[in-house]
Amino acid sequence: MIDLFQINPGLWMVLAGMICALVPKGDAFALLRKAFIIGAPIFAAVMITQIYTSQEVIAGKMTIGGLELTTLRIDNLSMVWGYLFCLIAVLNGIFGFHEKCRITDSSALVYAGAAIAGVFAGDLLTLFLFWELTAISSVFLIWRGGESAYAAGIRYLALHVLSGVILLAGAIIHASANGGDYTFNHIGLETLGGWLILIAIGIKCGFPFLHMWMQDAYPKASITGTVILSAFTTKMAIYALARGYVGVDILIYIGAVMTCFPVFFALIENDLRRVLSFSLNNQLGFMVCGIGIGTELALNGVVGQVFVHVIFKSLLFMSIGAVMYRVGTAKASELGGLFRSMPFTTVFCLIGAGSIAAFPLLAAFVTKAMIISSVIYEAHHNSGLYVIAAMLLFASAGVMEHSGIKVPYFTFFSHDSGRRVKEAPWNMLVAMGLASALCIFLAFPWGGYQMLYSLMPYDSSGYTPYTVDHVVFQLQLLFAAISAFCLLKKVGLYPSEKRAEILDFDWTYRKLGLGIMRWIGAMWTRLGAVITRIRDNAIKGTGRRLYQMFSPAGAMSEAAPSGLAAALTAGMLILVLIFVYFVR
Amino acid sequence: MPKENQRDTLTEKELEERQNAHPFAVPFLWLGNQKVIDNFIWLPVIGMIVTSFLGIVYYQKHPAPWDVVPGSWAIIGFVSYSFIVLCAKPLTALLARPEDYYGEGGLPDPDVSTEHTIGDHHD
Repeated sequence: MIDLFQINPGLWMVLAGMICALVPKGDAFALLRKAFIIGAPIFAAVMITQIYTSQEVIAGKMTIGGLELTTLRIDNLSMVWGYLFCLIAVLNGIFGFHEKCRITDSSALVYAGAAIAGVFAGDLLTLFLFWELTAISSVFLIWRGGESAYAAGIRYLALHVLSGVILLAGAIIHASANGGDYTFNHIGLETLGGWLILIAIGIKCGFPFLHMWMQDAYPKASITGTVILSAFTTKMAIYALARGYVGVDILIYIGAVMTCFPVFFALIENDLRRVLSFSLNNQLGFMVCGIGIGTELALNGVVGQVFVHVIFKSLLFMSIGAVMYRVGTAKASELGGLFRSMPFTTVFCLIGAGSIAAFPLLAAFVTKAMIISSVIYEAHHNSGLYVIAAMLLFASAGVMEHSGIKVPYFTFFSHDSGRRVKEAPWNMLVAMGLASALCIFLAFPWGGYQMLYSLMPYDSSGYTPYTVDHVVFQLQLLFAAISAFCLLKKVGLYPSEKRAEILDFDWTYRKLGLGIMRWIGAMWTRLGAVITRIRDNAIKGTGRRLYQMFSPAGAMSEAAPSGLAAALTAGMLILVLIFVYFVR
Repeated sequence: MPKENQRDTLTEKELEERQNAHPFAVPFLWLGNQKVIDNFIWLPVIGMIVTSFLGIVYYQKHPAPWDVVPGSWAIIGFVSYSFIVLCAKPLTALLARPEDYYGEGGLPDPDVSTEHTIGDHHD
């Protein structure tokens, strides 16, 4: 008898995804797939509640090839990610309800299931398995974006499979250094394996110079695909960091850089889905920094930030997706004035924008401050961290720029593009409405944020987000940023949105690397031609010389004088005698 | 007949705008009014000033070194935001290329996309 409680809940979603892949095409069958796509995450969440009982649960142990695997480990950390992924999978399912696409439905389920199974993995080999499965299953969502997404999908797959391979190499080296123990707990940077695993995670969560796949692939995926993609991969990587690298100093600096550099790219980017991808990168920076700080307050902040971030970032991608669905483009230069046609979507987008910017009473207000406060508290002992705190504040103003102002302003307000379109379909509105309600509820001062805080791994009763000084200083920052925007706009210093391709670090392999490879290819072809010519000439020359020497008309066939013939014969006999003498 | 009286006072353009707008958006069409847009700046400026004064009374419980300056977060917000925006021009000159730079072609989400390869822009 199979014990259901031994099975990783994510596997139920993977199974549902595989069934969806076999469900035939057609409207009636599409409804069946939709039932799976909404029902499977709910079932997985129910299974989590049944398995997890406030104490760490380790189950699903198996031995393969002499290696002991723990396929299920639910504790107070992984539980949060598990519930969150189930929740967002349901919202994504509702958002994509109109899309009758077998590939999207099945890959979305397998992808979300793999992410859930990954965060519940108790060992590094199980993590590797689901790490790769998330990459392979999600690439179909990118390829659903059509012809323009094909190359981006290949690049995405290459980088993510590479990440998995590095993870596996790191896991083997790390386990070898620890007596063959593959358990996924604190890893640290004491071993080479630890460094390799960090690089693998860094690819998935967008460390600087490893981040390009995100802004390359996400904006090119289908509308539903982008919304789904934004929720899982990077947050699974954040989980892996929170599990294996708490308190690792280098993460503080990596995270701080991650918060700042995307701000500049997001400013000049025209494609709003790409702007949101940079914004996603920036938000991940806050989480990475918090993990690097590693105090209880910082880790609570990270967990809270992950939870609300998945919701408001999905909400923002959903609102821009809804606009794209109706208008046909997500480019800021082509949009504007859509609040006249899409008022509900406008309100939902503004709630998402306010949430990411950390306005009081909206989601990130109760979580992001925990991370910044933790940096400032630590800076009292290590004054160098004040620089990091200043960088995080700078990035907060940047968040206000790209996600708080730019996305809603250029889409729904600004210059009237004259486009009069229908409001988003009902299912998109329901998904956005639910996400908006969560953004408000999870920051609600009376019973809302307390529920969010109850999910945090450490006791958070000592931290109160709604203090007068916190509200006042946060509003100072936000009002000042909006004032600067209005002023710069008024005096004409705010840049206009222009259609352009903004170069990022991926230029190094998309242009420079490709150019070098093409040059090497051309040189190789030329070298091949030269080698062939030399070889042919050598063969021809040798043949000609042999012919000249040994052919009936050759030099060796000429009649030699008898004296010379006698001398040659004598010489040959001497050689034979010497040879025989020594051989004997 | 107050509604009809109101309709009489509207210009043809406003009437057309109302007809084309979503019913739930009609009460908010004033947001597109140029006067409102021009004067919107006062809202955040007043908010910034008020919260800066409040910050003197309700000071930070765990201050950073910069918090000794009144309105420190407002200054950080204003300067940071302005710096970011003013970086746009040099960054655009450095990093912007034509949209077909990588030559990968195609439309984003071909099921719905209406994008053309060339288009105009606006402020």
